[in-house]
Amino acid sequence: MLQDFSKLPSIDALTRRHVLGAALALSAAPVLRHVPALAAGTLAVSEVAKGVFVHQGRYELQSPENRGDMANATFVIGRDAVAVIDTLGSAKIGRELRATIRNLTDRPVRYVINTHMHPDHVFGNAAFKDDNPQFVAHHKMARGLAARSDRYLAINKDMLGAEAFEGIEVILPTRSVESTLTLDLGGRTLICEAQRTAHTDNDLIVTDSATDTLILADLLFSVHIPTLDGSLKGWLSLLDDLARRKAARVVPGHGPASMQVPEALVPERRYLSALADDARKLIREGRTLAEAMKIAGQSEKDAWKLFDTYHARNVSTAFAELEWE
Amino acid sequence: MVRMFQMPRKAAARAVLSAFVAALLASAPLSGASADDDAWPMLRKAVFGDWQIEDGKDLLFLDAPDQAEDAAIVPITVRIPPEFKEPFKALTLIIDKNPSPVAATFTFGPAAGREGGERRMSTRVRIDMFSHVRAILETEDGKLHMVTRFIKAAGGCSAPVPKESGGTDPDLGKIVIKSFDPAVDAAPLREAQIMIRHPNTNGMQRDPVTQGYFPARFVKEMLVTRGDDLVFRMESGISISSDPNFRFTYANGPENSLDVKVTDTDETVFTAKAGARGS
Repeated sequence: MLQDFSKLPSIDALTRRHVLGAALALSAAPVLRHVPALAAGTLAVSEVAKGVFVHQGRYELQSPENRGDMANATFVIGRDAVAVIDTLGSAKIGRELRATIRNLTDRPVRYVINTHMHPDHVFGNAAFKDDNPQFVAHHKMARGLAARSDRYLAINKDMLGAEAFEGIEVILPTRSVESTLTLDLGGRTLICEAQRTAHTDNDLIVTDSATDTLILADLLFSVHIPTLDGSLKGWLSLLDDLARRKAARVVPGHGPASMQVPEALVPERRYLSALADDARKLIREGRTLAEAMKIAGQSEKDAWKLFDTYHARNVSTAFAELEWE
Repeated sequence: MVRMFQMPRKAAARAVLSAFVAALLASAPLSGASADDDAWPMLRKAVFGDWQIEDGKDLLFLDAPDQAEDAAIVPITVRIPPEFKEPFKALTLIIDKNPSPVAATFTFGPAAGREGGERRMSTRVRIDMFSHVRAILETEDGKLHMVTRFIKAAGGCSAPVPKESGGTDPDLGKIVIKSFDPAVDAAPLREAQIMIRHPNTNGMQRDPVTQGYFPARFVKEMLVTRGDDLVFRMESGISISSDPNFRFTYANGPENSLDVKVTDTDETVFTAKAGARGS
């Protein structure tokens, strides 16, 4: 992260950052092994549990340099087949994800699961088209992505640049999940569960039965500021449910490759609660949306990367939702 | 200046409609636009004909973010400072690059309030990519005064569609009116907020299931009255964000409750009275 010496943090902020660093150290879970990017055109991954590999994306906006490598992607290797859970943010980086899988196994990619509609999780889908997989997602994902396709394509073309954008296409799910769907990879199953509106209206979580690994995707942000594109109240209430779940480890959509629950959920809950509390207070006081976007949730400023990029938008979404209470 | 026979407000209302029709016919309405194309001369002609438009920088202010954090709900406010004490007739909000550029036209009545403070009108609009946003105020003498802001859309994942899709909202048409008491009872102006539960869908999003387009349905008119007096009448299009939201000053009197009547493009009418939730 760039240092801005004109805005040195206060002692409070330094202490807070220190505390947050310690909290992250506690909630990050150990991994079995790191597999560095061995050849050009492959990605570094961590094997977080037997046969479960996670590539950790950067805490950045999409750019020509990162080519949409800005979210976590997971793949699970079963006895008979492979499932990919999220494909990163471009066909190019998606192809590198595919090459990484091919270096580890020659079993077929039978399923590509998209945890929600956002481009940094779905724009690599095209790289797997020739594998003829089933594209699996929440039953509302197709609708959400289709409605936003023109805009997502335009923005990503602009931000990625022509070279990194090449090959991107919108691939909608071929199999939708109403509530739960179990996929058999041979010797292990993946349980996909559609969630109620939270981060978006089409979040899907996936559990690997063999290792009790729970892929929470963008229902869990760590280090990277949460991005709200669904319902704040829905997300907070869903966090209550998620905190009660037992899992050997969880994989966030943005953050370390492997984390422990319920500790991993704490900073995100704190952020979303601050957002809700501040927005409600300003609404009670009769303040405007424009004012709220400058004031609400600023106590969280030093706790997250990309705060300046996404926070005001989160406030805007939260305010417009909570005004109706 | 010679006043034309044609009322500019009617022209503006027609422009809302015709631009909308044009947008329905266009196959790729959004992606081709860039900040360099100057849509204004054509727009200006369509909405205001040959009327002269003066620089309004000494008369009104347009507050808007330089960058739209969420392109689906961009808060904009038009302010007329207390130094200007005359009534005005109408206010038109235009977003050059939107498929339906005329976001709204407000025609003010006797209860809109005049001197004694800053007069304001705030709403939330959709802004597609980069665009000039314009506020054009018609004063009592029939002159038009314009201020302009250029707004950049933020990169990322926002979209000009509701956050939650599918299903019918059981609260469709619910109207919330808030009236804020001024600091002193005798203040000549007070402020109110009107919130309308309505998707304001624009008819340009493809339904992946049917391959057809989701039908357009949006708020086209709103009448706000205080007792027998008109505060304002609004004609609007699809550039107003879903769940349309307005915050404005009006004349503070002994009785300040507002009646609101909203009509959408399905000709469904929703009504509410100040303080009452729903209708």
